[in-house]
Amino acid sequence: MAAACGDDSGDGGDGGGDGEGEGAITSTTVESDVDEVTTGGTVVVALEAETNNWQPGVGSFSNPGTNVARAIYDTIAARGADGEIYPYLAESIEPNEDLTEWTVTLREGIEFHDGTPLNAAAVERNFAVISADDSNLLGVLAQVEEFRVDDELTYTYVLAEPNVAFPDYLTGATGMPFSPDAYDANPDGFGDEPVGAGPFQFVSWTRDNEIRLEKNPNYWRTDANGNQLPYLDELIFRPIPDEDSRFASVEAGDAQVGQTLRQSFVRRAREAAENGNMQTFEAIGNNGGGAIFNTLRPPVDDVRVRQAMAHAIIQEDLIEILGGTGITPPQTQYFSPDSPWFSQEVADAWPQHDPERAQELLNEYINDPNRSDGKAVGEPVSVEFNTPPDPSLILTSQGYESMWRAVGIDVTLNSVEQAEHIQNAIGADADPPFSGNYMINIWRMGANEDPYITLEAAFGPWESEPTNFTNYTSDNVQEQLNVLATSTEFEERYAAVESIMMEFTEQIPNTWTAGTATALYADNAVRNLAGWTIPGDVQGDGVMNSTVYWSEVWLEE
Amino acid sequence: MLTLIGRKLIGLVPVLLAASFLTFMLLSLLPGDPALQILGMSNPTPEQIEQVREELGLNDSLPVRYWNWLSDAATGDLGSSFQTRQTVTAAIGERLPVTAQLMVMSLSMAVVVSIPLGVAVAYKAGSLFDRGVTAVTFGLLSIPNFVLALFLIIVFAVELGWFPATGWTRLSDSVPDSLRGAFLPSLSLAIGNVAVLTRLLRTDMIATLQEDHVVMAKAKGLPTRQILFRHALRPSSFSLMTVLGLQVAALLSGTVIIEQIFALPGLGRLLLDRITNRDYIMVQGLVLFLATVYVFVNFAIDILYSFLDPRIRHGKSRATA
Repeated sequence: MAAACGDDSGDGGDGGGDGEGEGAITSTTVESDVDEVTTGGTVVVALEAETNNWQPGVGSFSNPGTNVARAIYDTIAARGADGEIYPYLAESIEPNEDLTEWTVTLREGIEFHDGTPLNAAAVERNFAVISADDSNLLGVLAQVEEFRVDDELTYTYVLAEPNVAFPDYLTGATGMPFSPDAYDANPDGFGDEPVGAGPFQFVSWTRDNEIRLEKNPNYWRTDANGNQLPYLDELIFRPIPDEDSRFASVEAGDAQVGQTLRQSFVRRAREAAENGNMQTFEAIGNNGGGAIFNTLRPPVDDVRVRQAMAHAIIQEDLIEILGGTGITPPQTQYFSPDSPWFSQEVADAWPQHDPERAQELLNEYINDPNRSDGKAVGEPVSVEFNTPPDPSLILTSQGYESMWRAVGIDVTLNSVEQAEHIQNAIGADADPPFSGNYMINIWRMGANEDPYITLEAAFGPWESEPTNFTNYTSDNVQEQLNVLATSTEFEERYAAVESIMMEFTEQIPNTWTAGTATALYADNAVRNLAGWTIPGDVQGDGVMNSTVYWSEVWLEE
Repeated sequence: MLTLIGRKLIGLVPVLLAASFLTFMLLSLLPGDPALQILGMSNPTPEQIEQVREELGLNDSLPVRYWNWLSDAATGDLGSSFQTRQTVTAAIGERLPVTAQLMVMSLSMAVVVSIPLGVAVAYKAGSLFDRGVTAVTFGLLSIPNFVLALFLIIVFAVELGWFPATGWTRLSDSVPDSLRGAFLPSLSLAIGNVAVLTRLLRTDMIATLQEDHVVMAKAKGLPTRQILFRHALRPSSFSLMTVLGLQVAALLSGTVIIEQIFALPGLGRLLLDRITNRDYIMVQGLVLFLATVYVFVNFAIDILYSFLDPRIRHGKSRATA
């Protein structure tokens, strides 16, 4: 894989698949040319939400937070447009033969904003902080048995078990080095005044109002023409939770860039872009909506019921209800059609709308004297379907309800507040623990990480993987996960992914509606939002999940 | 007078204790585990969850948890959020100026508009002007303030560009920018109050204008303005004062929505955000603080009555005479 290449050639190594992008990017943009770049200026970015804290291991760096964190910290590794992981702050990231050790060599001469050098000792101190008991990265770092400093710029993560996907973690909070001196001087307040090695340095933060960053004059990167990065003087992020207000802020010129994950606002941004009023950058990654089944809970513990429910669904109608027609394609697996891991064979095998087959399967279950829900033969199947009180999700759940009722399933809809919805899925206090406190939940599944990371979290043994919400696993899934963890051969890994996805077309741990479209919309003066690069002239993964790296964004005068 | 204030202050203690107890109990009854919320989707181990629960004191019984929290609160220590690592008092200190400015501006707008308007429509009761104002105020009362807020953003921020759609500038950074940024949210909160206060004052003023002392003033040939504002307005303002006190609570709840729409870093937005994240420590502290503010504002209004109307101040001595 590219992370293991140790150079900047960007040829993608053996894991690059066909070199296609990991997700589709549909953009209506103003062309950008590095020779025309003007420097200076301020860009205000309107984000979906505030982040609780800016310290890696404490802050919840979801899509909004990642945008800010990448501006402050930079990452050890970054994902290219081909879906591969490339060294970023690192010069190289190399595994040992059995993939139980990952050795990172940092680039020379990089300093944090306070002048502290970025070296192995700094990352070692960071590791102690982010692997502490109160860190939200503890789950990820539990696999690291030892952090070893090899020399001034080189260190090694020693893992308990082989993991070919480990560099993937270094593109996120785990791979965001922060100044150990600044942290040790103010451990309790570091998250309020972060010091990283990224293109912008912290100026001020008023929670729920704005975080203000200014250009890092000693940033380590230059562009292809040797110009110092970043181009902008100032970057301000404002959390604006209301979608209408966020969009209006960009329309009114209070902000220059806005972020959305809502189909209706992707559409509004498209319309504004078509009228020439703004630009839009869309991406559909490996994340899709649907319903998850708690496969330990009758009657959806029976595969016939799950299959029947999948056959009852009309995906196109659900997409229309969500407002995604023409924006998001129907989903059939954990990977979108643009992903190198996508399988047409799986797409063809995914259950299609077939009410007769649904009825047939339900009748088999209903007339089974040993049916799992303990009801008498002939009694209809009753299910409970939970959804957070979001208008579009409620409409979607009503769509599901009518489709399932049409084949004779008795559906009870429950509105469950978001925090509780997630906790019910984890079910830490369920009996047995982590078996989930729900039957069917509306849900989003998948991510752009390596398939091993995504599928291990979602389908590892449910007793030890709280994020296996469906509680579904099997010997084949475990076997294929082992292949994904230990093999560097793309073909072999692809076959493993396809095998798991194929199993799901039969076992139906979840249903699918459509991929999740995300978008950044921007004033026409903002340039190069999606064109950020990785050293070595490797194209970055653009606006995936409406997040970008900011050093190469510039503003037309 | 001091005795009256002292007596009323002592009466506030059980009210605040009841408010804090109810808040604590209600939050405890909410579904969801704060420990899981803190650890999020990071694949927490059962041991990690248990440790956070222990640190939060969630394994203690409810009375023990309430007592621990209350005894700390009595010393001014409302605790720290486990999620944001910010102390509750720091969060309140950071957000209070925003919400206070919004409330002062919106109440000022409402009072400045509704008093002359209420007086004028009472004076012209039954006229076309009166009927027109009545119809408009009824209309304004029926519009939810979040709808009004979005309408104001579209017209005055997006179309006309007169005010920013979102964001906040502190008064200490720039007075004009701060007032400009706070104008639309304050107006969104004020419009409903204008309708309420105008209609209330109109009703009271019409009654007062029939009273003997006003008829006497008219007979003396005093100017209309002097009769309306000096002789009729003061005795007509008791209901207005009561409602203004109650409106503080309405405004506090209004700011929850308005601060969300205009993306303002005030107490209302903090409260909503922390409730959503099951940040119990922050929510408990905030609710106690808001309840205290509400109780004290109404206490201040009670005292103000005594100044405005000597009958209240001397009510007890008369009754015992």
